Amino acid sequence: MNSKKRIVITGLGTINAIGNDVAQFAASLREGVCGISEIDLFDTTGFRTRKGGQIRNFNPRESIPREFSLKRMTRADQLALAATIEALTDAGLYPLPESFKEDMGVVIGGGSGGLFEAETFYAELIAKGLDRSRFSRLSTVYCASSADRIASNLGLLGPKTTLMTACSSGANALGYARDLIQSGQAGIMLAGAVDPMCRITYAAFNALKAVDEDVCRPFDRNRSGLSLGEAAAILVLESLESALARNATIYGEILGYGVSCDSFHMTAPDEKASGAVRSMRAALKDSGLSTEDIDYINAHGTATPANDSTETRAIKEVFGPRAYSIPVSSTKSMHAHPLDAAGALEAVVSLLALSYGFIPPTIHFKERDPECDLDYVTEGARAADLRHVLSNSFAFGGNNTTVVFGKYEGQGAVHGS
Amino acid sequence: MDHDRDRSDSRQRIVVTGLGLVTPLGVGKDEFSRRLFEGVCAIDTVKSFDTSAVSSHLGAEVRDFTPRDFISVKNLRRMDKTSLMTAASARMALDDAGVTINAENRDRIGILLGTSFGATDVTVQVADALMGEGPSSVNPILVPNTVMNAPAGHASIELGFRGVNITVTHFAVSAETAIAYAVSEIKRGAADFMLAGGVDILSKFYYESMTKFHGLSPDKDGQEGARPFDRLRNGYVAGEGCGILCLESLSSARNRGARIYCEITGSGMGSSPTLPTEWPKDMGGILRTFRRALNNAGVAPGDITAVMASANGDRVLDAVEARAYGELFDACAQKPYVTSVKGSLGESFSSGGIRACALALSVEKGWLPPTVGLSNPLAPMNFVMGQKKDIDVKHAVLAGISFGGTYVYLVFSDCKSQ
Repeated sequence: MNSKKRIVITGLGTINAIGNDVAQFAASLREGVCGISEIDLFDTTGFRTRKGGQIRNFNPRESIPREFSLKRMTRADQLALAATIEALTDAGLYPLPESFKEDMGVVIGGGSGGLFEAETFYAELIAKGLDRSRFSRLSTVYCASSADRIASNLGLLGPKTTLMTACSSGANALGYARDLIQSGQAGIMLAGAVDPMCRITYAAFNALKAVDEDVCRPFDRNRSGLSLGEAAAILVLESLESALARNATIYGEILGYGVSCDSFHMTAPDEKASGAVRSMRAALKDSGLSTEDIDYINAHGTATPANDSTETRAIKEVFGPRAYSIPVSSTKSMHAHPLDAAGALEAVVSLLALSYGFIPPTIHFKERDPECDLDYVTEGARAADLRHVLSNSFAFGGNNTTVVFGKYEGQGAVHGS
Repeated sequence: MDHDRDRSDSRQRIVVTGLGLVTPLGVGKDEFSRRLFEGVCAIDTVKSFDTSAVSSHLGAEVRDFTPRDFISVKNLRRMDKTSLMTAASARMALDDAGVTINAENRDRIGILLGTSFGATDVTVQVADALMGEGPSSVNPILVPNTVMNAPAGHASIELGFRGVNITVTHFAVSAETAIAYAVSEIKRGAADFMLAGGVDILSKFYYESMTKFHGLSPDKDGQEGARPFDRLRNGYVAGEGCGILCLESLSSARNRGARIYCEITGSGMGSSPTLPTEWPKDMGGILRTFRRALNNAGVAPGDITAVMASANGDRVLDAVEARAYGELFDACAQKPYVTSVKGSLGESFSSGGIRACALALSVEKGWLPPTVGLSNPLAPMNFVMGQKKDIDVKHAVLAGISFGGTYVYLVFSDCKSQ
């Protein structure tokens, strides 16, 4: 472990329901802004719910430089590329110098990809038939398209892949990108996720009755489901050596990453919380930290009745009595649940919290649940000098991923100081 | 307390000790192996759905797979076709490796699965309900199976392993990436055993879409067929199936006295700017990634006995791949053999799992399978044609090339003599 390269984050980019860039997102997290309201991306007539955490006022032509054609790009690809450009610019890597391209790659946590556009195609297919439909419109329907678009547009020649573990995809993308740098397969990696809203996903969560008709209320006694969201979040990862060599400003360090599987049920968490316990323990072990070292937990906290009580139980099992003195918050109460992008978006949350010394709140909280009895930061954002943050992402299929981030202290420039 | 971290060792050697297969050439390692090396062609007229609306009619279908031979009754009805094939292959791979899942080892056994397109049959059912009848008619039972990670999730539930569980979905290199990632997970100490491979299936909508992208060999003048590396190739034939390897460290395999098929000695990953759905036209990505894998394995081009190619009969892909190997092995006195199994198995995109099993068998047995459908080579190379080639395979390369410009190369090496 100690012989391994230290991996730091030097660039962040995001577009989500409470921020069209990182600066706006950071301000919204501190202010406890709610991004959940009636959606107008598509017609919600016939659906049980109307609300979601929709991205507003996204203008791809403003966020993506003119040198990149937007032709045939889906909304997913546009959001991912826009967040990538922001992250690279933040890292001082845009325009991207030629010398970095050979060893630079991208790992994306894939979500619904171009399904939003495919739905329009499919409706047309049903109406017009096989021979009169333009199948070329399906060419970027799959979620792997976003990584291809990023790499091809920027001229990256390094490793490229797309991971799909549902709601933990974004967290896994960070873990694998870290491993690719540590094992010498890549120099600098772009890692993150994108998941835009679409009708099929919205209908699926409606069918599963997993969505709150109003706004989601993580850890509240009367919580009744999640609020669907959408987001792109991209991070620039590199070795500490590389960051120092190019005088980059550092947000923090990825210290550990752990993955486990419930092996229990496709959509319900194991009530014994064994999977969540194991992923947190694996990430702690990987980081070389003890439970005493964690200052803040960015919870998965979807606000489904099962998730929040199970996650609380898991935190108590891992941290013992100290669980009661660790602030735990679910920022999904603000930006909603962007599904496969959640892990990457909450990595951005964790790094902003570490860099700028604050704990984002859980909003919409009204009534305490006897089964959820930790400190959920419900009174608003708190100032706090954080050294280590643990972020959970749990998913359909029983996939659990936990990432541990650390404040970077040492030579070189650091954000927030 | 830190025993897991102590197992982290990037110098660990990773070996293949089990194979599980559900393929058009047969179910299980023995049937697959027999027919693969006999040079049987599994391509036939598609029977499981109607192809009369489109211009292609051939496919390599899985036909003699009985899920209940492998899957418990309790889980059978919840699982879609991709999940059934995956769980069955995973069970066969563990059985073949002699690994029994128990309370002691289940948290250290995981899966890394590649799927390029997932359960296209189920996704279309959901889309039909939503678009045709409205949101309230979407059947919640179907929903979990539309997600790409469903097969790996179902396999973990059916078999009871609780370690690393990750799905890779990056077009035609999904399975090769999953195998490289699985090797990395054992090396970093995150698992003791990893199941790794890929699954993809045929469905009506998927097949029709493929014909609309003009990828499939068309039924024109009696020319429909799969002919990798052949001058008369005119596209690929769609296939399906699942192939899964059981991976562990060499020391673990030796301690257990397990049979070792081969060692995975290196991997390389790369990209090149390419348009969506198009195969790369220049060979830069192949050259770069191939060299990365060889460097990673510590071998030279002259050490390579064989290449299991990605070629599927596509006009662009096969030409660029052949040209790249011509260049890579130009200076070698003894040129390696090149073969593609896609003339027999068709193109299933996450074919890397099945092809990795085929290559592991090749290294173990000292046989290379013939390139079925190849009779007029597009270039003078050592193609394995007509029948299997008997040869001592020291180091062999599994090629993964995808449309969109993504590459993964893996090096499989013989470790019998060591």
